[in-house]
Amino acid sequence: MQFEENIRLALRGLIDHKFRSFLTMLGIIFGVASVITMLSIGEGAKKAAIAKYQDLGVNNIIIREKKLTDDELEEVRAKFSEGLSLQDAKVIQEIVPGVVKTASQSEINTELKYADKSAKSTVIGITPEFVEMLNYKAEKGEFIKKEHYDKSLKVCVLGAGVAATLFKNENPIGKMVKIEDQWLEVIGILKSKALFTETVGELAARDLNTDVYVPLSTFLKRFSHENILESEIQQITVQVKNSDLLQETSTLIESILKRHHFNNADYNIVIPYELLRQEEKERQIYNFLLGAIAAISLLVGGIGIMNIMLATVMERTREIGIRRSIGARKSDIMSQFVSEAVAISITGGLIGVFLGVGLSLFVSIFTDVDISIKMYSVLLAFGFSVIVGISFGYLPAKNAANLKPIDSLRYE
Amino acid sequence: MLIEIKNLYKNYTMGELEVPALKDINLQIRKNEYLAIMGPSGSGKSTLMNILGCLDTPTKGEYIFNKSDVSQLNDDELSAMRNREIGFIFQNFNLLPRLNALQNVEMPLIYSGIKKQERKERSIEALERVGLAERMHHKPGELSGGQRQRVAIARALVSKPGILLADEPTGALDSKTGEEIMQLFYDLHKEGNTIILITHEQEIADHAHRTIHIKDGMIHWDKPNKLKEYMLQDNKNLSQL
Repeated sequence: MQFEENIRLALRGLIDHKFRSFLTMLGIIFGVASVITMLSIGEGAKKAAIAKYQDLGVNNIIIREKKLTDDELEEVRAKFSEGLSLQDAKVIQEIVPGVVKTASQSEINTELKYADKSAKSTVIGITPEFVEMLNYKAEKGEFIKKEHYDKSLKVCVLGAGVAATLFKNENPIGKMVKIEDQWLEVIGILKSKALFTETVGELAARDLNTDVYVPLSTFLKRFSHENILESEIQQITVQVKNSDLLQETSTLIESILKRHHFNNADYNIVIPYELLRQEEKERQIYNFLLGAIAAISLLVGGIGIMNIMLATVMERTREIGIRRSIGARKSDIMSQFVSEAVAISITGGLIGVFLGVGLSLFVSIFTDVDISIKMYSVLLAFGFSVIVGISFGYLPAKNAANLKPIDSLRYE
Repeated sequence: MLIEIKNLYKNYTMGELEVPALKDINLQIRKNEYLAIMGPSGSGKSTLMNILGCLDTPTKGEYIFNKSDVSQLNDDELSAMRNREIGFIFQNFNLLPRLNALQNVEMPLIYSGIKKQERKERSIEALERVGLAERMHHKPGELSGGQRQRVAIARALVSKPGILLADEPTGALDSKTGEEIMQLFYDLHKEGNTIILITHEQEIADHAHRTIHIKDGMIHWDKPNKLKEYMLQDNKNLSQL
């Protein structure tokens, strides 16, 4: 029988039994929708994680001073460690192979003042390499350059949050702001950054939008830490040639620092890429679980189709007999019933795709869960539903085809 | 000879028992014959009809249709035989209730792979032949019993089969409508169709030109009928026999 004829028959079957077809489809609809939603949430989480680590640089090793209590600090200083210093950065840069560049930073938490307004912020002194290593871009004006650093200029770049607090309707570029007892000129505003809401390794969560960047040279001259024992710098970011070198480079750095700090563990070494990989691994297990649950719901949907199809075959024994008596071959009956199952699963699959995409968008709009709808997940879910239709339609169709024409004609 | 049946046996297996339904049937049917097969229920006439209609295969013996041995055919070939050579007409019409008259008539042509346009033309032609062209968009439920049987006859005719096989075609109709259907058979026979009627009513069998009586799975007798008056009017037709 012609293919087109089968489609026509199958669609007529769907329309004739709208409610029953819909109920049969429900399993597939929810199955497909849940596969798409779960994959979208998984993809969204992946995207968010990658974005988070990209801020830290995938080829970077971060050496951060360890937060110590005053007593501990006194103890390590007594044991001759000076804490993280520019000297450490210089040594790493010069000795460790595979290191492309290093960036140092020093921080204080203080207030920024402009006119009658003030904003709490983290003032960070940076070396010019910083901007090349981390993809920080100024939205307005410019970022700290080598020239600013070399001349220890009194300039600063404001995080989006700080800029918004201090300058409502004014253009901040060129304005002077007061940090501690120093006046600095605003030369740039950063793009708004996602909240750093999770602790990454030893790096504490914080709001990057309240950062204010100044040249490290200026910082070291003009500002001082509250505690005099505080190390010179708080963080060294080391960029290596490629991510394969991260592990060994970090081991090497660790042994150098150990020696320079006289075995005082007053620093942490974090490899964002390794953390990303680890997180990825965990998420894979999680995604697999989600996927498996969704797949099971598709399977249940398939069984639903099979159940109804088996009942349909019983109900339509007479029809099968009539068709066979006027010349339908077994294969004609077979393809008629398989087409019907596939029509149910395709229709259900399509509705499921819409529902899944809708649900994903709903989740992204009304919760702060990140989602990312990927074409592959839609195709995967839809393809799977068609396969379910074919495989679960097969048995009932086979039963239908194998009915004896005489018996089915007499069936009441 | 259109149909030749030689030493045909059919047994049914009921649990462990082999129950003979037909025993040593020998039968010859010429083209354009009008034949009635009679017998009480359980006599084996339905079994014979099923075998003649290629719905079933004999246990033993030969069934030659148009010089080819049907008893050797596989399921697909039997389907093709039913599709092209057999036009079934059932007591309870066996139309598909969801399809309209035209779609019901079209069905055999769908299975023989005929294109849509030709299918439609031929189906309308067949419906015109049984006088139901103006009802072709009605579903069986919207038609009277006689009209339904006409649709079924149109469906049997549409593939221009070698034989029309009618199983108690008037069994579900009142006598007046039944008579109309028998008149239609008479006309179809006159037009050159070979008709086999299966019935247990003498009155219906009397319309045919020859009656075969089956009893206990065997042919009890096989003789020409006394012809009715309206048949005698058509001497030309008779001389052909």
